[in-house]
Amino acid sequence: MARSFQVDIVTPEAVVWSGEAELVTARTTEGDIGVLADHQPTMAALATGAVKVVHANGVTIAGIHGGFLQIYRNQVTLLTDRAELTEGSVEDARRAAAELRDTEET
Amino acid sequence: MASAEIRQIRRRIKSVESTIKITRAMELIATARIGKAQQRVAQAKPYTEKMNDVIRNIGAATGSIKHPLLEQREIKTVGVLVVTSDRGLAGGYNSSVIRLAEQAVAAHHAAGKEVRLYTVGAKALAYFRYRKHQIRHQWLAVTDTPTYADARGIANIILDEYASGRVDAVESYTTEYISALTQTAIEWPVLPITPPEAVEGAAAAATGYEFEPSAEEILDRLLPRYLEGSVFGMLLEASASEHAARRRAMKAATENAEELTRLLTREANQARQAEITTEISEIVGGAEALSNG
Repeated sequence: MARSFQVDIVTPEAVVWSGEAELVTARTTEGDIGVLADHQPTMAALATGAVKVVHANGVTIAGIHGGFLQIYRNQVTLLTDRAELTEGSVEDARRAAAELRDTEET
Repeated sequence: MASAEIRQIRRRIKSVESTIKITRAMELIATARIGKAQQRVAQAKPYTEKMNDVIRNIGAATGSIKHPLLEQREIKTVGVLVVTSDRGLAGGYNSSVIRLAEQAVAAHHAAGKEVRLYTVGAKALAYFRYRKHQIRHQWLAVTDTPTYADARGIANIILDEYASGRVDAVESYTTEYISALTQTAIEWPVLPITPPEAVEGAAAAATGYEFEPSAEEILDRLLPRYLEGSVFGMLLEASASEHAARRRAMKAATENAEELTRLLTREANQARQAEITTEISEIVGGAEALSNG
């Protein structure tokens, strides 16, 4: 089993997801990023897209819109304006994220 | 006559009793809302804390943070944001914020600075408009249950005013929620942004950060978000304070009204007694007159 690290997905209104995870993938403004344990300290700007969190109990997928990703000492924090957990696939989450973006712009 | 007096008192008792019903209902509603508002304040905390964390780390990693939003300018024009509620019946909640803001505006004028006024809530708008102040931006229907979109709208306008140079600093007059019993009107400096203080040892720990894209670009995106988050936190606290102030005011009103009904009931009983006494003495007097005759 892969080593795990702390992940928090936080919006201004609530902590959307918090727990131990083994792998996190997210879309930054520069491209997709995959995070395993002991990743180098990183600060990245997030784009609109899906975040996939692989943890002991399965996979959690969330559509997010904007924000920041901070990796520091096995603590991954995703600060985002809007986030929505989805049941379905990564594609569903991307769609949800695009909707979040659209509702914001109108 | 005495019976007319009794009727009048009974009518007053009825009207006071219906007031009690209203104030008690408002007290209960406010009580329910404080809980919710407090919860929202608590839920917003992690975001603000993490945000502070990120800014501290950027500061530590890049040595010093330089950004237009952080720079102190020579202040010619001050933006003043006054945060009040839309509705009254909240005791001294609105008046203490307004008083503080008005003093500040007067002090700025005395120091030869221009003031641009922004208001949140109908109370501040009505107060300053009546006194012929020009209000540059106003927001209504926000403070009851503030949303993040409200905060973003306010932050965007303030940022625009600041970036375009119409104001050189922005300060906000709002209410800090300390506890259910204590809320204080405070001045909160909004712009330029005061970065969160560096924590001991963070500088050493934060070296070797990788930025995607550059630290400058991240800061560029981060600071407006930080402002939005801070404004959101401020609105949530103001909202919790408003409900707490209203609950206290309505509780006092209910208690006063209850005391008033007690006094009025006593008065009504006295009047009734006096009436009965008069009647008895009239009857006795009449009977006496008959038996003597």
